[in-house]
Amino acid sequence: MSKELIRLRDLTMEFDGERILDGINLYFNDHEFLTLLGPSGCGKTTTLRIIGGFLTPTSGTVTFDGKVINDVPPYQRQINTVFQRYALFPHLDVYDNIAFGLKVAKLPKDEIDRRVHEMLEIVSLKGYENRRIDNLSGGQQQRVAIARALVNQPKVLLLDEPLAALDLRLRKDMQNELKRIQQATGITFIYVTHDQEEALSMSDTVVVMDKGRIQQIGRPEDIYNEPKNAFVADFIGESNILDGTMLSDYKVRFFGRNFDCVDKGFAPNEPVDVVIRPEDIDIVPPLEGHLVGTVTSVTFKGLNYDIIVDFRGFKWLIQTTDFHGVGTTIGIRLNPEDIHIMHKSEYSGMFGDYSSYSAEYDELTEDAGDEEE
Amino acid sequence: MKKNNALLLSTPYIVFMVIFTLIPLGVVAYYALTDPATGAFTLENVKNLGMYMPVLWQSILYSLVSAFICLLLGYPVAYFIAHQSATAQKILYMLVMLPMCMSFLLRTLAWVGLLQDTGIINDILETIGIGRLQLIRTPAAVVLGMVYNYLPYMILPLYSTIVKIDHRLIEAAEDLGCNSVQVFSKVVLPLSVPGILSGITMVFVPAVSTFYISQKLGGTDTVLIGDVIERQFKQGNNPNLGAALSLVLMLLVFVCTGIMNRFGADDEEGGVIA
Amino acid sequence: MKKANRILTVLMFIFLYIPMIVLVVASFNTGKDITNFEGFTLNRYVELFQDKHLLNLLRNSIIVSVLSTAIATTFGTVAAVGINGLSPKLRKTVMTLTNIPMTNPDIVTGVSLSLLFVFVGSRLLGQRDSLTFWTLLIAHITFNLPYVILNVMPKLKQMDSSLTDAAMDLGCTPLQAFFKVTLHEIMPGIVSGAIMAFTMSLDDFVISYFVSGLDFVTLPVEIYSYTKKPIQPKVYAMFTLLFGLIFVLMLTMNLLQIRSDRAKGARRAKVDSKTMRTVKRAVAGIAAACLLLGVGYLFVAPHAQEQITLNVYNWGQYIADGSDGSMEVIAEFERRYPNIKVNYSTYDSNEIMYSKLANGGITVDVIIPSDYMIARLIEEDMLLELDYDNIPNYQYIDESFRNTAYDPENKYSVPYTWGTVGILYNTKYVDEADVTGWELLWNVEYAGKILMFGNSRDAFGIAQYLLGYDVNTTDKAELQACAEKLAQQKPILQQYVMDEIFATMQNEEAWIAPYYAGDCLTMMEANENLAFYLPENQGFNLFIDAMCIPSCAKEKEAAETFINFLCDPEIAGANMDWISYSTPLSAAKEYMDPETVSDPISYPSDEILANGSSYAFLPEDISRYVESLFMEVRNG
Repeated sequence: MSKELIRLRDLTMEFDGERILDGINLYFNDHEFLTLLGPSGCGKTTTLRIIGGFLTPTSGTVTFDGKVINDVPPYQRQINTVFQRYALFPHLDVYDNIAFGLKVAKLPKDEIDRRVHEMLEIVSLKGYENRRIDNLSGGQQQRVAIARALVNQPKVLLLDEPLAALDLRLRKDMQNELKRIQQATGITFIYVTHDQEEALSMSDTVVVMDKGRIQQIGRPEDIYNEPKNAFVADFIGESNILDGTMLSDYKVRFFGRNFDCVDKGFAPNEPVDVVIRPEDIDIVPPLEGHLVGTVTSVTFKGLNYDIIVDFRGFKWLIQTTDFHGVGTTIGIRLNPEDIHIMHKSEYSGMFGDYSSYSAEYDELTEDAGDEEE
Repeated sequence: MKKNNALLLSTPYIVFMVIFTLIPLGVVAYYALTDPATGAFTLENVKNLGMYMPVLWQSILYSLVSAFICLLLGYPVAYFIAHQSATAQKILYMLVMLPMCMSFLLRTLAWVGLLQDTGIINDILETIGIGRLQLIRTPAAVVLGMVYNYLPYMILPLYSTIVKIDHRLIEAAEDLGCNSVQVFSKVVLPLSVPGILSGITMVFVPAVSTFYISQKLGGTDTVLIGDVIERQFKQGNNPNLGAALSLVLMLLVFVCTGIMNRFGADDEEGGVIA
Repeated sequence: MKKANRILTVLMFIFLYIPMIVLVVASFNTGKDITNFEGFTLNRYVELFQDKHLLNLLRNSIIVSVLSTAIATTFGTVAAVGINGLSPKLRKTVMTLTNIPMTNPDIVTGVSLSLLFVFVGSRLLGQRDSLTFWTLLIAHITFNLPYVILNVMPKLKQMDSSLTDAAMDLGCTPLQAFFKVTLHEIMPGIVSGAIMAFTMSLDDFVISYFVSGLDFVTLPVEIYSYTKKPIQPKVYAMFTLLFGLIFVLMLTMNLLQIRSDRAKGARRAKVDSKTMRTVKRAVAGIAAACLLLGVGYLFVAPHAQEQITLNVYNWGQYIADGSDGSMEVIAEFERRYPNIKVNYSTYDSNEIMYSKLANGGITVDVIIPSDYMIARLIEEDMLLELDYDNIPNYQYIDESFRNTAYDPENKYSVPYTWGTVGILYNTKYVDEADVTGWELLWNVEYAGKILMFGNSRDAFGIAQYLLGYDVNTTDKAELQACAEKLAQQKPILQQYVMDEIFATMQNEEAWIAPYYAGDCLTMMEANENLAFYLPENQGFNLFIDAMCIPSCAKEKEAAETFINFLCDPEIAGANMDWISYSTPLSAAKEYMDPETVSDPISYPSDEILANGSSYAFLPEDISRYVESLFMEVRNG
């Protein structure tokens, strides 16, 4: 759709002998909203900092508009960053923070003035020019940080977990705001987050990372619907992941039963991971079900109930709008399009079992912690 | 910051500090191990140190007593200051610090005027009929001089520590059933240990090495290690023995601060600054 | 509990401030003694501003502190930024290094630096004056640096490191990022580090005391020697002014801080930030002006060198200083020889002077040691031969003071004064019947009221007269016996003194002391209860102090001019009138107060003088032996 702007080739990064990035190959298109998504320590911030010029990769190249920019310092790159905790200059007021880059570039005073005011308008902070930074709310600081970066009219804007410090409500608003700004300005956004929902709702392209490697690249829908491996399946939304065998195209066997599915192209009798999304499962009376199990726990989630169902010792998470009490026996039906088949990977067997439901749930939600550089 | 830049910026400093703090200590050691007249290697100075051990013990005793008195006096004061309004804290803090900025020589001299046999205090004592007392040239006078000069060094770190104690901890202790004495002994005191240790160090080190205070307020028998060192250099023309004594003093101080650090007085930054 | 704390706090403040109040009151006292308030006067302040010497010292102190603070602050800040970027292990090592001057006692730091400078300067580079302004400055920078580092480091650590990233992201080079962002963030640390460094430097006595030479001395070091002599009340006036200044400064800073804190608490009012900014600018302005002054000094100082600086190193209270209507001898000299500027410092015993010279690192052009010390200096090749053509006034020196035992060929010295050593006692407290001889100094009835010489030669001399030994004995057993005698005396002594004797005897703190006749006369003039006794029968020291030029001198010709000037009968007469010592120039007597000339204490009869004896040169090993015995007596 549009031309390639940045390309990362065989990027590796090591700190004190520890490999943080392991062979990253990735390109960014102009006007794109791309999100690097992954848990803490997956290398997403490191990747961002390499693009920003704050780190020099151990090996591999970064090209910008076709030129290798490995050794170009940050202040000479046409890239600006919105930092994790905003990094606003506390000794300057709102106006001077936004004007900072323009002043360094020694632009004429009236142009600075014009652009700063324009920017204030875009981020809805008109009238806040002379406020001190510590007199602003988190959301306002966030806007100043965005304005400060955008006012320089960069080719690319890097955003490092910009919404992590905001509360839920504000975060939703800002997500819309950011998307709007991106569309209005047409600037390439490279966005780093560990929040899968944020990633899915805002991005044109999502890059899922873990352990310094890219796990999957794709449009949000593809990532969600066709996860490449157990890690992606688990990280993006909730998944029940089972061992299965691909008998032939469109035929998969798991739980001692054969199911129809929509996947093909696997070797005959290839062991595979089978992903079933909790919200895709239909609950039916026991006699009508493909499988029959017992409810072992129920959690009310507002929109739905999360119930854990024991099928012959393997526990599934099922989301349903109807209440089923603990101890109830239920049946389920699986439609072919609800069954996703993945090749086995190093992540096989690590995710998708809800036997220790609460612990895993916690692990997912507490991810909000700061990412290690 | 790039590693190279960090080295580039810090190397001149490291070189400077090595030249002007480490190497001088080496020179002191060199002097300590050579003969004053011939400059030849000798252990004579080290052997002679034994003679000065009583002086050293006396110095340690006086400064420990001073540090302890400073703690006893300083703690309630620091506690009091820490519990005033922010404005009052600032002013009181300033008032504690102010004397430290003034010539300690003259302030100590003023004590001579106060304490001597014909001094102000004795004049008053005589007028009210108590009669003149031997105040100056006693061990007590030397300790008083130390306490007077170094009390602020105790109060300031204590204050800094006490003022940082989270008030919610005290409330929590009360909530858990502590009375005010228990709150103090079980919460406040343990939390002020870093301040106490750094205060003791800051009083002990200058006190154990002073020579002016003992010269002015002491008598012929309150000789301190600092006096001896000063005299070896300035009168005795025996810098070599003086150097040996300096090494002993330095060792003593490093051992003491080492012990303090073991108790957790400071971190990398050093608890020296209040 | 709370109430007790409050009372204790109040008491503590009284305790902290009483001595300062005493000093402030003393600055308004018409009398000289700190303990007796005789009447109110502002004259001390007038005297202070007329005292070029004192103001000069203050200027020296300010120059050293401002320059060392400025250098240490810049250097330290840069270093802190560097250290902050080092690996944790290396950083820890560097911080340990930084803590050395902080943990080390000042005296050790002072001693180690002075030994370093003397060792490198004198021994390795063969320089005469290795203890100069520069070494003093280096010493101050050395102990200032840790204050800066330890204040800046925490600020750097607290600082969000992404701030500098942000600045570079917005187009700053690393250097620009430092000045535009980092500097602002760590400024509070830099300022408090600089303030700490400045106060420490301004008030530093111990390190400067060991590291400074004679030609550049700071105020605290000189105040130390002032506190030995009867202190001049103008020093109190200076203290009071500095106290007031610092108090007002600190108070203003604090009040402004409090006000701005309050303003911040609400919304920062524009007016307040404006006043704050003005104040900040004013402070920065003052600091910059001081710095300019300091740097200016560095550039101007070498030009001022067109004027010869003559370093004169003399006993305390040993030259007429203009007080009590006397001639200000040094000022008179400078008036007559405008191209020579005298830098005058004092010592209070031959041994101190000798140590200072022998330790090296300094330049001195004129010294006035006593006979036996001159012999020692000649023996050790530490004196220069004089060119008597430059000292025509030598002709006035009486015949009996030429070809002396210590300088038999008249090559090295020109007599300044002579005199006897006797006992000064207070007739109000001391029974005349007890005044029989040197044993008075061992009389337990006066325990705690007796002073003793604080130098080995004079102290041993008295023991030798008392025990009937030759004062120039080299018999170690005899010397050992003397040491025992002196050790016996120690418990009843009030103190070992030199210059301190003036104040203590005059204000009757002590009643009995041996001292030089000339000074005894000075004290007797100040306190009429004092009397002088010369133990003729036991023997006493007859000394000559003579002017010499040590081998470390740089300005020999000017030194000779100075010596010649002091031998001018008219000058010598005026000078002797004030210092009360006996003159070796009969020609000077006609310019002196006739009462002094006929005073039997100053000029005893020849019969009496026949009982006196001079100290002769002792071999090096005996000198050292005596010195170490005396140290043992004092330290034991």
